[in-house]
Amino acid sequence: MNRFLSQKFRFYSFVCIALLTLVHGYNLKNGYLQAFSMVDEPLTFTTFIEFLLANGLLRFRMPLLFIISGYIFSMQDKKPYPVMIKKRFTTLMIPFFIWSAVGLAITYLLQQFPVTAQAVKDSLMDQLGDNRPYEEIGWIGHEKDKPGILFRWLVAPTSFQLWFIRSLFIYNILYPVFKWGITKFPYIWLGLMFLIWITQFNYYFVEGNGLLFFSLGIWLQKSNYPIDKKPEWFSSYLAWVCFIGFGVIKSFMAFELEYSLLSQQILLLLYGATVISGLLAVWFSLDDVVRWCMQRKWFVWLTAFSFVIYGMHVPLIEYITMLLYRYMNHFPNYRLMVYVLAPVLVICICVITGALLRQLLPKVYRLATGGRGF
Amino acid sequence: MDRLLLILLLLFYSINTDAQRGFAFNRISTEDGIGLASNDVHCIYQDKKGFIWVGTANGLQRFDGSKFIHFSANGDPMPHTTVTQIIPADSNRLFLSLGNIHEFGLFDPVSFLYKKIPLQPKKEISPRANYSAWKDASGDIYLSVFKYGVMRYDKKQGAFVDDEHFNLPASWISSVRSFFDDTKKNQTWIATDSGLCIYNKATRQTWSRIFNPGKNPVLQNESIQEGVVKLFIDKKGRTWIINWPKAMHKSQLVCLDSTGTNSNTQDTAGISEGPAGYIEHKDIFETKTGGIWINGGGILYNYDLEQKRFNYIGSDADVTQIGITYETVYQVMDDKDGSIWIATNRGLYFTSAVTGTFSVINILFDNKKNPTEITDILELDNGDYWLTSWSYGVKSLDKYLRKIDNSIYNTPPPKSWTSEQKGNIKLTWALCQQKKDGKVWVGCNGGVLMLHDPKQQTTQYFMPPEFMGSTTRYITEDAMGAVWFGTQGGKIIKYEKEKFSEVQHFNTVVHKLFFDSRGMLWVATYESGLYALDASTGKMLQHFTAGEGPNKLFTNSGSDIEQLNDSIIVLAAGSLNFINKYTGTVRLLTYEEGLPSNSVLRLRTDGNGYLWIITSNGLCRYNPSNNRITSYGRRDGIVLAEKTNMADFQCREGYLIFGGSNAMIMFHPSAFSNTKPPPDVTITDFKIFNQYYPVDSMMMQDKIKLKNDQNSVSIYFASLSFMQRDKLTYYYKMEGLDEDWIKADKSMSVNYSQMPAGNYVFKVYCENLEGIRSPNVTQLHIYIKPPFWRTWWFLSVSLFVIALIIYVVHRLRVNKLLAVEKLRNHVARDLHDDMGSTLSTINILSSMAKSKMNSDSIKAGEYISKITDNSQRMMEAMDDIVWSIKPSNDSMQKIIARMREFATNVLEAKDIELDFSTDESLYDVKLNMQARRDLFLIFKEAVNNAAKYSKASKVEIKILPENKKLVLSVKDNGIGFDVNNADGNGLCNMQKRADNLLGKISIRSYEGEGAEVKLVIPVS
Repeated sequence: MNRFLSQKFRFYSFVCIALLTLVHGYNLKNGYLQAFSMVDEPLTFTTFIEFLLANGLLRFRMPLLFIISGYIFSMQDKKPYPVMIKKRFTTLMIPFFIWSAVGLAITYLLQQFPVTAQAVKDSLMDQLGDNRPYEEIGWIGHEKDKPGILFRWLVAPTSFQLWFIRSLFIYNILYPVFKWGITKFPYIWLGLMFLIWITQFNYYFVEGNGLLFFSLGIWLQKSNYPIDKKPEWFSSYLAWVCFIGFGVIKSFMAFELEYSLLSQQILLLLYGATVISGLLAVWFSLDDVVRWCMQRKWFVWLTAFSFVIYGMHVPLIEYITMLLYRYMNHFPNYRLMVYVLAPVLVICICVITGALLRQLLPKVYRLATGGRGF
Repeated sequence: MDRLLLILLLLFYSINTDAQRGFAFNRISTEDGIGLASNDVHCIYQDKKGFIWVGTANGLQRFDGSKFIHFSANGDPMPHTTVTQIIPADSNRLFLSLGNIHEFGLFDPVSFLYKKIPLQPKKEISPRANYSAWKDASGDIYLSVFKYGVMRYDKKQGAFVDDEHFNLPASWISSVRSFFDDTKKNQTWIATDSGLCIYNKATRQTWSRIFNPGKNPVLQNESIQEGVVKLFIDKKGRTWIINWPKAMHKSQLVCLDSTGTNSNTQDTAGISEGPAGYIEHKDIFETKTGGIWINGGGILYNYDLEQKRFNYIGSDADVTQIGITYETVYQVMDDKDGSIWIATNRGLYFTSAVTGTFSVINILFDNKKNPTEITDILELDNGDYWLTSWSYGVKSLDKYLRKIDNSIYNTPPPKSWTSEQKGNIKLTWALCQQKKDGKVWVGCNGGVLMLHDPKQQTTQYFMPPEFMGSTTRYITEDAMGAVWFGTQGGKIIKYEKEKFSEVQHFNTVVHKLFFDSRGMLWVATYESGLYALDASTGKMLQHFTAGEGPNKLFTNSGSDIEQLNDSIIVLAAGSLNFINKYTGTVRLLTYEEGLPSNSVLRLRTDGNGYLWIITSNGLCRYNPSNNRITSYGRRDGIVLAEKTNMADFQCREGYLIFGGSNAMIMFHPSAFSNTKPPPDVTITDFKIFNQYYPVDSMMMQDKIKLKNDQNSVSIYFASLSFMQRDKLTYYYKMEGLDEDWIKADKSMSVNYSQMPAGNYVFKVYCENLEGIRSPNVTQLHIYIKPPFWRTWWFLSVSLFVIALIIYVVHRLRVNKLLAVEKLRNHVARDLHDDMGSTLSTINILSSMAKSKMNSDSIKAGEYISKITDNSQRMMEAMDDIVWSIKPSNDSMQKIIARMREFATNVLEAKDIELDFSTDESLYDVKLNMQARRDLFLIFKEAVNNAAKYSKASKVEIKILPENKKLVLSVKDNGIGFDVNNADGNGLCNMQKRADNLLGKISIRSYEGEGAEVKLVIPVS
């Protein structure tokens, strides 16, 4: 891997994670947007922009992160398998448990004050749909079929974004299978993975969303594909037209089409087209931006805190959004303002927290970030 | 309030002789044109929304206050036959009993789905069996089948099953007539022909007079065990029983006190009144406020809480303006407002004066002998009412409006009076009670006055000369205690210090004298307008007439005067005339502005400042705060208002009384003030282009989604309060179209036409007369789908396609430029390769030839010969380049022609026979410039080789099509050569050019056997 490719990985890792704050900061009625989700609320500038970004244009992030992860993991597959898995447990699962606990702690803390407690309640953040104060819920859960805090910590974190590193860890465990498939039958394997992705297939903790892109990362590395160079066949214009075009069309359709299976299938296809064209457009056409940014010390310094932003932005973004709504709802277009302002605030809080932690408790920081960001 | 609030009925009172009494019933019948399918109405039910469901002889209908709707059911066919019972079932469905055809079913008002409920009896049911359904407190529905038993509705099986739920002897269970659930004791009472039973739900035991371990006194009471058809326990714990003792040959009603032991004859007082013939008690109904109604064949009773007795409400065959007519009353029900609904075989009735929310007394006097004209009304200190009438004198009613005797005529008139003068004391017109001593002045005909002392029960008679024998039309008292009289002759006479004195003489009839709050005397006259006098001096201060100018009255004849506030005096003169006594301005409020009629007759303000008005079209109320007129009629219990145009009075407790021609009405204004908010508005109907759509199921959806051509809609709405219905003001707004709230008209509907596509929210709320709004704004979300070409997604797809087209066009242009560049490069390379070296050679040869010209002419000649050869080749090459570039040579025909020409020239020069064959179908083949050149050069090389080296006598050339491929074959019969050992640029060039053409070239030759070059290239 040459230096520029390394810089690209670092740049895009940071950008993708920073954009998560926008993706998770939307405030549509539907609090859990899926690739094929339709919107049952009036089409306004604010709702459109929120949907376009959260469920359209910025959907390339996780695939890109999976590609980068697959690529890097594939580069290191010369090490013995147990060593690799042990290392990945340290760098993925320990941060998972730490940041899951941090999310719960933030929630619990905010539940102690009436105003913030209301913000927590209004955000409907709990993955299990039980938004009662944690003191009522208890560690184990007092009621049947209503698990407690422990379950939330280990399985269903309030910081729901942690599914990514848990999935990544599972992919890493399954890496030999990936490698076998890609080296033996690359096109069949990738085709199969594509089907799993486009059909949004999931099986417990094996998220179908990332299989294709993790495999793609491995394949790109194994085939020595020159991903640091713009291919001759690549057209920036066409890629951006497709990326923005498919994203916009999909967003309008999500608002305007009648709810039906066919509509969802159309949205799913457009989602796939948006993600693929977005990946190509963003990866191959922004080299100058990457170079410019990575030549700036402040930017490089910021990229060190990618993992802190990743681990901490949810549930913080939801609670801050609710609090901003409370205090800004007398401004015109406050919803759009909050959608822009809340991510900036959250990123600032995360970076400051990360910087302080790295400065004051470097060992803890290392543990929490899996050794990233030094 | 107390007193009249308890008198719930429209009473009848006769000052003279015969009279009628009863409720102010509103009849709804098939003749009304609002859709009632049949006057034979068997059952009624009000659903949670407030719709009234009726079961008629022609099927089930829903009433929204303005129209009845018949439902066409989905699922099983729902016959339009007699619906005898409507019982609310689970999931808001209605259980229907179609008694005539012994069919039962469940109807879903949302989906219009009707499902028949089959019976699964264990034994045969008699064809003549009677069926009666009943729902217990837990929601289970039972069906008692007379002469069979009781079946229970099994929800899982969707059928009535005989699971012997009640543990009763066979002879008892087969004669079950009805049930009653005692939820307090968790017991079910069962009325059977054999007697009463109690089913204990907890123990599943059944008690009867035979087995009565609890010693229930009702079961022990043998006198009521025979032929029991109904048992009912009211809120007071009294047990009401209807049974058929064999000896009586008719039904009887028994009321037992809360102990169940003693027969409560006091509470059944009046129940024996009614028709003498055959009657049949069928049902007992208790209203939410504790009123008891008993109905059946030929009877309808209501318990009068004030008089503590039942009133028999007889059938009025003539259907008078306040009566009810029936042969059978099937059911009585109270709605959410407390109005009573009555299902009879002669139509559907409702009456609103029933629950204490308000009460009105309408009194209709008999006029068969003489008309009873009430001319004035007075309430005495003891609560008695005095009425003056023309010809019957002064009559008295007690506080319950019962006729009582008075002492006014105990003292005879002076003996000196003539009989005519004595007769005038019965021709009474005006009343006034003095505040200081309670004595009552009575103004009579012929200038006769009576002054009655109620304490002493004595009467003084006057016939003052100041009256000049003129009838006293109005008497009032001023703040100083002086009594003022207005006469028919136009005089205003003041009585002070036991002395009469004339104050003014208007030469017209004085209708009303009124002292305002500042003591100014206002006089309403006949055809002379309104006067304002200084009461102390009698001086005329103001005079208003219907003459010219801006401040004129509607007419000159005024009948009544009231004061609204310190500055506004209201005169009833045609319309309402509002006179500002300080500015002298007059404002009219007329029929055009909402007044029921431009004939206002009586006025009276109540304690809240509302002005109550009797017009020739009935009663209405004027609200000064919003300038709004509200009419009151039959639905409000006001039946006789238009007759009460002569007199008015405000009682001490605030009641208003209006009297007149044979009629009197009495009510408390607060009865019409509803402090409760009206029910939320319900969307009753939804029409798209005049086509009704099921509004219930539409309202179940978050949003009504319409196609873009379904953009003209009508929305009907109503607050389902049948009592307040006409008194509500509706406001609506279609968000997305309307900027502000719009006041709805009386039709309670709104039409929107040609709505553009988009999202809309129809909002509606109502407001009652007191300005209290319905708790919630009713909303209906409507989405009109735009045509696809006007959607944002289509627009964005179009832009996307345009962007792609731009890209494609740009790409084509770039490709074209690249092609031109490529061509130029190609030509340059060819010129350089083919001609550059040859020209160099010629240049060298020419120099050498020049140098040898003089010294060695032979050598020079050789050089010149070589120059000639080179220039010849160069010309050929040049010719080839030009030929290949020239667009006119693009056709295959030209290529083949050139090939033939070339081969002929070359081979003829060598005396080799040429056999050239081709196929015309190849002429359509298109080759680009480069391909054409490559093909020709391969051909040229092959022919040249054959001519130069083969020593052949014949060459065969074939250019033919073969499966979308072009096959070129050059075959000679020469000496051949060893292909494997063949070397030379020519063959390599041929191979390269074949590769450029994506074709295959094969060379086959053996020494002595000739050679063949075969090229196969794909073509289109």
